[in-house]
Amino acid sequence: MQGTAAKRGGFVRVWWGYVGLGLMLTAGIVIAAVLTATPTVPQPVAFNHRKHTEELGLNCEFCHVYVTKRAHAGLPNAQTCTMCHQATQGTSAEAARVTTLLAEGDPLTFNKLFRLESHVFYTHRRHVGIAELECATCHGAIAATERPPARPLVRIDMDFCMDCHREQGQTLDCNACHR
Amino acid sequence: MARWGMVIDLDRCTGCAACEVACKSENNVAAVSADQADMGRASSWMKVMAHVEGEFPDTTMHFYPRPCMHCDNPPCIRVCPVQATYIDDEGIVGQIYARCIGCRYCANACPYMVKYFNWYGPEWSESERQHLNPDVSVRPTGVIEKCTFCHHRLQKAREDARADGRELREEDYQPACADVCPTNAIAFGDLDNPSHAVHSLKADPRVLRLMEDLGTQPKVYYLRPRE
Repeated sequence: MQGTAAKRGGFVRVWWGYVGLGLMLTAGIVIAAVLTATPTVPQPVAFNHRKHTEELGLNCEFCHVYVTKRAHAGLPNAQTCTMCHQATQGTSAEAARVTTLLAEGDPLTFNKLFRLESHVFYTHRRHVGIAELECATCHGAIAATERPPARPLVRIDMDFCMDCHREQGQTLDCNACHR
Repeated sequence: MARWGMVIDLDRCTGCAACEVACKSENNVAAVSADQADMGRASSWMKVMAHVEGEFPDTTMHFYPRPCMHCDNPPCIRVCPVQATYIDDEGIVGQIYARCIGCRYCANACPYMVKYFNWYGPEWSESERQHLNPDVSVRPTGVIEKCTFCHHRLQKAREDARADGRELREEDYQPACADVCPTNAIAFGDLDNPSHAVHSLKADPRVLRLMEDLGTQPKVYYLRPRE
């Protein structure tokens, strides 16, 4: 009897050991995930890309005005939104909120979702204005989203750029993209 | 394929150092404190070196503006263990900061001492920060930096030319130093293109290159002062 109790005690200790190990592993994975996750990008209003592009037929350049002309495509601001939203458009509560915010003088500062490292030299003008690439090539199905995505839809890293440059027979020179 | 190079007329250079200032401003080169500068930790991608000849009082002084020589046979790229510094197809010696591990082999291999190590992160005042050139990265601590012949200007010029559907012209791409030189002492262009000024200037009998005997084949030429 005594032997069985000792055996059971040992089994319990081992079992608790496994539980402890499991908990530590889970905690490690959670911490690693939190540390490596792309930070979420908040937006001033829940902008519906699908409504504006697919349903209303606006092109990307309507709001991202510099996409063919400058390095940065440009984000819309209160002035852009006022063109249509000075009076309430449609029936959604968010559209009504936009009109209210504009009336209050809110600048509607949108935040960049896709960011490149600071040592990367990239211009939209070269890729969209000159090479006439589709926005979806790098930005994925952003035009079909109904709410602002919390994280970029496409992971734009060096491999992503290099693969396309190789396929298209474009420069692979370091200086061409690193500044 | 272009081969970018520079010809500096020492007769025209007055040593005003406008090129130094323009370079620092164009390329976000941070100023360091006087103490650090005394310890040799100041960066100056373009540096006007004064050279005195003769015995006092019969002396003459010449100024040698000294950027990176963009050697055709650069000693720096041979020693880089991570290929952070390399020579591109157009002869510009590049420094890829994201790749640099800061070993400083290249700085020691360079006979012209034009490669600078960032001992500390750059410090900018609030007003200076607003004047940083967005086309040039601000280098982090622990990497080597150097003159790039204002490569970002080439990128922009080429983009402008492509957008307008024309060839790149000589005046489209000039580095900041050549742009500001009040006496036009610095000529810049494609050494292999007969329509560019540097092509004929480099054939001038007065031409000299620094430490040519080392076999580095620098692409910065100087025109010796006339007697």
